Parts: sequence; C-alpha cells; structure tokens
Amino acid sequence: MRITRIISAVCAGIMLCAPLSAAPVAAADTGPIHIAVITDMSGVYASISGQGAVEATKMAVEDFGGKVLGRPIIVDTVDHQNSGPTAEAKAREEFDNGAELAVDLTNSATALAVAAVAKDMHKLAIVSGGGSSALTGASCNKYTYHYAYDTYALAHSEGTSVAKAGYKTWYGIVPDYAFGKSMLADFTDAIAPFGATFVHSDTMPLGTTDFSTYMLAAKNAHPQVVALLNAGADTVNSMKAAKEFGLDKQMKIVVGLFFLPQVDTDPALWAGAKVADSWYWNQTPEARKWADRYAARMNGVRPGSIQAADYSSTMQWLKAVKAVGSVDADKIVAYLDGRTFSDFYAQNAQWRARDHSVVHDMYVYDILPQSEVKERDAWYKLVDTIPASQAFRPVAQSNCTKTW
Amino acid sequence: MDRRRNVLMILIALVGLALPKLIYPIVAIDVLCFALFAVALDLLFGFAGLLSFGQAMFWGGSAYVVAILVQTFHFDGGLALVAAIVYAAILAAVVGALVVRRSGIYFAMITLAIAQIEYFVAVQLKDLTGGENGLPMDSRGTFFGAHLSNDTAFYYVAFVIIALCVWFVMRVVGSPFGTVLGAIRQNETRTIALGYRVNRFKLATFILSGTLCGLAGALFARGNRLAGLEMIDWHTSGAVVMMAILGGSGTIAGPIIGAGIYQVIEYFVSKTPIGQETDLVMGLVFACCILAFRQGIVGGVLSIPWRKTST
Amino acid sequence: MSADYLASQLFNGLASGAFYALLALGLSVIFGTLRIINFAHGAMYMLGAFATYYGAQYLHLNFFLALILAPLVVAVLGMLFEVLLLRRLQGLDPVYGLLFTFAATLVVVNLMRLLAGAMGSPYNIPDALSGATNLGFTLYPTYKLFVIVVSIIVCVLVWWFVERSLLGARIRASTENPVLVRALGIDTPRIITLTFGLGVAIAALAGVLAAPTTNVYPSMGDDIIIYTFAIVVIGGLGSITGSIVMGFALGVLQTLGAIWYPPIATTLIFIVMVIVIALRPSGLFGRPESS
Repeated sequence: MRITRIISAVCAGIMLCAPLSAAPVAAADTGPIHIAVITDMSGVYASISGQGAVEATKMAVEDFGGKVLGRPIIVDTVDHQNSGPTAEAKAREEFDNGAELAVDLTNSATALAVAAVAKDMHKLAIVSGGGSSALTGASCNKYTYHYAYDTYALAHSEGTSVAKAGYKTWYGIVPDYAFGKSMLADFTDAIAPFGATFVHSDTMPLGTTDFSTYMLAAKNAHPQVVALLNAGADTVNSMKAAKEFGLDKQMKIVVGLFFLPQVDTDPALWAGAKVADSWYWNQTPEARKWADRYAARMNGVRPGSIQAADYSSTMQWLKAVKAVGSVDADKIVAYLDGRTFSDFYAQNAQWRARDHSVVHDMYVYDILPQSEVKERDAWYKLVDTIPASQAFRPVAQSNCTKTW
Repeated sequence: MDRRRNVLMILIALVGLALPKLIYPIVAIDVLCFALFAVALDLLFGFAGLLSFGQAMFWGGSAYVVAILVQTFHFDGGLALVAAIVYAAILAAVVGALVVRRSGIYFAMITLAIAQIEYFVAVQLKDLTGGENGLPMDSRGTFFGAHLSNDTAFYYVAFVIIALCVWFVMRVVGSPFGTVLGAIRQNETRTIALGYRVNRFKLATFILSGTLCGLAGALFARGNRLAGLEMIDWHTSGAVVMMAILGGSGTIAGPIIGAGIYQVIEYFVSKTPIGQETDLVMGLVFACCILAFRQGIVGGVLSIPWRKTST
Repeated sequence: MSADYLASQLFNGLASGAFYALLALGLSVIFGTLRIINFAHGAMYMLGAFATYYGAQYLHLNFFLALILAPLVVAVLGMLFEVLLLRRLQGLDPVYGLLFTFAATLVVVNLMRLLAGAMGSPYNIPDALSGATNLGFTLYPTYKLFVIVVSIIVCVLVWWFVERSLLGARIRASTENPVLVRALGIDTPRIITLTFGLGVAIAALAGVLAAPTTNVYPSMGDDIIIYTFAIVVIGGLGSITGSIVMGFALGVLQTLGAIWYPPIATTLIFIVMVIVIALRPSGLFGRPESS
C-alpha cells in the first residue's frame, strides 16, 4: 500500500534528520563582526549605489582600523536584485550569520523589507539609498534609522528654494505609484507658504514610456515650473519629452529625485535642471578630500551622495560600538538617539530620537552645461543650503507611532 | 515504472523533511512554495497541455491578500490563508471562463496579458498594496492561534500543507479525470467527439491549478513576511514555467525537483562573483533544455531502461 | 480642452501606435510562416536601438544610415538564430517555439545588461528632425511626425509585399502546404529564413525609431512586447491587416484614454483584449477557423 510506505518513509526521514537539527550556532562574542551592504549590484541603481557603496563602507572600516572591540570587521556584499523577497531572506541570513548592521538599502521596497527584518531580529539597519518617508513614518521602528534623504526632505529643500525665488505656478508630472504620490503631497506643502500652487498635476501609470501626452498638456497650461516627480528611467524619458516639446525654453524644470552619477549618462539632457541632494563631493575641502580617496579606488569616478552616506553612517556606527563597548542594537540605539554630529558628509546632523530620522542640512543644485565643467564629475553648482530644521519633517508632524 | 515514480516521491519527501537542516531555512521555505507553484502550473501544462504564462497572477495576488489581511487588518494568518485561496479560486474561475476556449500559443499570450492587468491594478491600489514599495509584514501572523515565527516550525507546517496538495494532485491525475485530461492534451477534437465537454474539464483544471498557485504564493508571502510587485510580474510566470519543464513536465516529481534545483542554483550562484547573472544562467540552461532535453530531468531519468524484470 | 490640443494628442496616439503597429506587424509576419510567436521580438527591438547607439558611438553612423543598416544587422543575427537554433524545433508543438524564444530573451537582455549596464545610454534626435513643424493648427515635434510617416510607409510596403506580391504568395503558400511548394521547386527553408529576417528587421526598425525618444536600455522591450501580444490577439493572430490597423488604433485609444483617466493607460489595451476574446475569440481581423 502506497500510503503506508510513504508514512513509514516519512517517519524514517524524521529520525534520520533528528541528529542534524542542532540550533544554528549563535555568533560568538569573539568572532568577526559583519556589516552587510545590501544593495543593487547590477540593476538600475548600481551606478548610484552598487560597488561604490561597498567600497565606501570598506573605506570606513579601514579608516577605523579594521577592528572594533578587538574583533575584526568584515564587509559583506549582498545583492538584493531589487526584489523585496530576496532582500528579506538575505538580510535574515546575514543577521543570523554574524551581521550586526545592514547599510545602504537602495530602493524603497527592499529598504522597507529589511527594516521589518531589523525590527523582528533586533539588529540595526541604516537606510541611505531608499527614500520612502514611510521608513520614519508609518513603518518606523526602533532598529531602523533613515540616514541620507527622504521624499519629504527632497521636496521641502527644492520646493522652498524654487518657490521663494518667485515661481508661483507649478505643473506636476507625477507617476501613479507610492513615490510620486508622496512627492506631490510634500511639494504642495513646501511651496504653499510662498503663495505657490500646483495649477494641475498629471498622474501617469507605472510603465509609461511615452510622456508626450503629458508634456503637451503641461506646455498648454503655461506654468512657471514643471516638476518631474518621478524616478530613474521615467525621469530620463520625461525629461527627453519635455525638451522635445521645448518646455525647457518656456519654464523651469525641477527634478524631484536625482543623483550625480545619473548626469554622466547624458550631460546635455540634464544641463539647466534643478535638483536637491544631501551632498556633493566638491562642496567642501573635506568632502573633496574624501571623494578623491574614493575615486582612486573606483577608476576615477567620484562618489554620489548615497555612497558618501554609507561611509559616514558606517563610521558613526563603529564609533558608537566603541563608545558603548557592545554591538548590542538596543544599547547602540540608546547611545545614538538624540546625539548630534557633523562630518564631511552631514552638516549639523542629529540622530533624531522621535522617529529615527537622521536630519542634516540639505542642498539645492543647478546642473551645469558641459561647457562650464572643468573636471570629471563636477556637474553641480550649489545654489541653496536648507538647514536641517527646515528640510526634514518637523517632529511635531511626525506620523511615526513610537513603540519603543 | 510506477514503482520508480513512488521511490522518487519518497526520496523527495525525505529530502523535503531534511531540507531546513541542509540549507538556510527561509530558502527551504522558498523551495517548498515554488515546488507547489511548479506542480500546479504543470497540472495545466503537463497534464492538460495548456501553457499558462500568467500563473503569477494567482501566486502574487494571493500573496497580497494574505499580506493585506494579516498586516493591515490583523486577521489570523490561517484565516487569511483561506481567504487567499478563495480569492485565487474565484479569480481562476473568472479568468478560466474566458481563456479555456483557446489553447496553444493563444492561451499563453492571453494569460500573460491578463496577468498584467492584475499587476497594474496592484500598482494603482497603492494605499492597500504599498504600490512599488511592496507590503512587508511585521510578522507571519498566527496560524489558527499558533505562532510561527520560528522558520523551521513554519517550514514543517507548510511542508504538511504542501505535501497534502501534491498528494491530491497525484490522486487527480491518476483518476479518470486525469485520463480525460490526457486525452484532451493528445487530441482535443477526438475527445470532444467522444462526448466529453472538454471546456468544462479545462476550466476545472484551470481553477484547481490557480487555487494551488494561490496557496503556494500565500505561503511564500507568509514565509518571507511580505508581498511585492515582482511576485505578479511576468518574469515570475516565466520562471515557474522554466522550473516545471527543467524538472520534467508531466511527472509531478519533475516540477518539484525543477523548483528545488532552480532555487538552490539561484541561492548559491548569488554568493559567487557572477551572483547577478542568475537570469542569464537560467536562460541558457533552459534554452538548452528546450532544444535537446524537452522531457526534463525526471522525464530523462524515467526513460532510462531499468531492471527489466520489475515491470 | 481645445480642438488643436485634442488634435495634437491624436498625433501623439498615432506616434505610439506607430511602434505598436511595426512590432505587431513583425510578429504577424513571423507567425504567418513559422507558426511560432517570437517572444524575443522585444529583445530584437532593443537590439535595433542598441545597434543605432553603438553605430553612432563607434562608427559615427548617422541616424538615417542607421535606419537602414541597424535593421539589416539585427536581421542577419535573427536569421542566424533561425537557421542554427529555431529550425531544430520545427514540427514540434509551437509552444516550444514560444518557450525557446522566451529563454533567448533572458539571455540576450541579460547579456546586453552586462555589456551596457541597466541604466542604458542616451541617443539624441538627429538635428535634421529636431524642433517642431507647423501643422497649421499647432506646432508638433518633427521627429514624432517622422516616426508616424516612416511607420505608415513600412506597414503599407510590407502589407503589399505579403498580401499582393508573387514572393508574398509563395510565402503564404509555403505555410499552407510546404510539401507542395517544395515540389514546385521553391526553396521553402530559405523562404522561412528570409521571412523571419523580415519580421526581425521590422522589430529592429521600431527600435531604431525608439532610440531617440527614450534612453536605450536592455529591458526596453520587456513591457512593449506584452502590449504587442495583446494587440496581435485583438487584431487576429497572423493577420497582417489586423496588426497594422489595431496597432495604430490602440495607440490612439490608449493616448485618448490617458487624457480622460490616466490610470487606465496601462491596462486599456488588455481590457480591450479581454472584451474582444470574449465576443470574438479569433480576433477582429482573424479568420474564425484558426481558432
């Protein structure tokens, strides 16, 4: 009888497996400490994060001396392939196998997935790549800090800077997904105090490649600013369509989410656009010094803001570990919460205890035309500095339900 | 022949029981869920001859049902699982009513396109689904009251559920119903001529397959504690087709082995310097398989002449 | 909403329909002879765009030369693919053709990603076609007009070639009755290879036309191929006329739908497909017996 055979086999199987079922060995307190750089190594975010993020994290470890609490530090590269489930499973495995910190986390879907893992396993995640403000809002938790930027900070830096210069009528090009929705809400708030409003905004579905319909509508509305509140390839394609219909000659084009390494792919396209970012390698001598060391390891390519944030956050964490004398996440959170600092990356920064947003000054830049660029990757011109208190969501407005 | 199949199934069950000790438990859970996903897909392709390129609509759709109910509405995980299965069954009935009149390439193209509708709807319902951010869950939720945060415990609960499903599929294909499916696959016109209402058989199979794909996806979402858009994407539909055919379509054991090999290769390749190239590697392997080895691994093994006396 | 605004949007619809029509046409030409659905059609489209980009980068090839040469290069690759690999699947269930071209898509797209990176590369509108043209009622980008005109010309030529010319008759005959055609002294395998090359060349041409309007990136064919499948199903599998007409019609419908209710733009074509297969399973232009 087949069933009996299967049942007996199953029982045999369980007996066979019993000796194997020892619990996974807990990382000894003397073994190496792992830092997991969880990022996109070959997809669309590889240039703004990827290998550069790994190198930057390794630089922080080397600069710190390669050891903390007498234990060697190992940087693990984890490719999340832009998939939530992959990021989830790999983060768990990393934390199970001796990782005490996960950094980078480019792409909000993977950042939110790993934040949930950190919360569940009581290990620390510091997000520099993903931008969703849910990380410090609805999905905030004790074990996740948001380090570099979020949609709120981008919108408020750029919106404030442009609106206060007298641009009153705005037109939004908004993708119909979570990122676009929160960008539009944040921009609307940011420009309102200056009497500026969105006269109209078009929401377009994910997967739109032909933006002509919307650019034509935008042109027809004669606004003073057209804001491209999308990301990645959508931004490229909508910018192309905007130039095709001559929008750049009639109005200001504001790009919501942009990173320096993106200019390289098409400098002519981006010249004249206005962007917000958390850092630029050529803005202070200190930043430049670090960027040059980075470039020496990356074939001369200068870092973007996410890579610099990875270095900075790793260094901050290592200092905290040393000060606390433990890698225990609870102790480190207790140490970091409320602490202020400034380094080559972050100016006037604070580890905010209320919602675990790491706030610091934000910047608005113009992208220069190639003719004005004197050296490699020197695309930005600083036009405005937005103090941390104005750039990031005020604590009073936080929608983070603090449970810790 | 039958004996060899049984030996194979028992071997698979044994490996299945030991799996969480052999590889990282969450990867073991993934293997398990994809195994059922591949078996369910192959119920359509291997036994009824219908190639669906859109089964991810059930896998991913049910994943979202579970994640939304557990995370947002704090349902019991077991109840959420039931809701996810009901969702998949209803969706399969509606889609099936539309598509079973077609077969062959047409069937593949239509299922692919219909799955895209669900994908875009999921993007648009961002308040419910989290849009492109996906929907992480704080925990797996309870299972009719029991906690399943331990990966190994969850694995064995899922193992029992999935083993029962696979056993059920074996019973179905071995029944007179399965015989009619085989007849449809070989010659649909003749089966109609014999007086069978072919479309009803196809619809029933489509609903069963969709429901099982949904169950597998719902378990996957709970195992990984999240639902994401990539679970509805056509690449996922394509991946499960590859698993089923690589392992050996029409053999039950084949899709299970195919899913296991696919997941394990992906897991280990991702730890090597060519870690990003799993799609490339799997594409090459699958291309070779279609050119030279269409019966798949299990089909190949079973076709080797064995001790002649035993049959 | 003014009339000239609507008219401009109508042109936008025709421009996106121009791509759909070319891709659907290529797919139908291939299906007509080989009886397989080429899943790699989106990858061929992508290769056409990359051939244009690399041609400009390394050979300083201008856009108009690329318009001729890039489809030829990709067609040669396509014909090699047919002769060396796809031919081995002849006589099998056509589903295996779909599966094999699916695998080929994974390989080609990921190889291009290794070579060019996922973000892709820019290609600009040629100077001669940049700027806007006065249509009398509005200014409209010259390049988009160019795309519409090229697409219409190519569609009409291919339609005439397949449906009306002697060689077209031979192609259709070798599908209907390959043995008889061979007995008449016509080289069937060669006709099949050339037809496959023609279909691929049309896809690559669409890719060349797309290069200046979007970034050239490896997964650019991933989404458009699914729309193309739906359009071919709506038009009727294998119907040349159906592919062309429905390509343009659905491009316009999608654009106008996006003005009315933007979220529907991505799903409208699929919804139309569902309605069509419910009411007329063989497609609007298909012959009922092919079901």
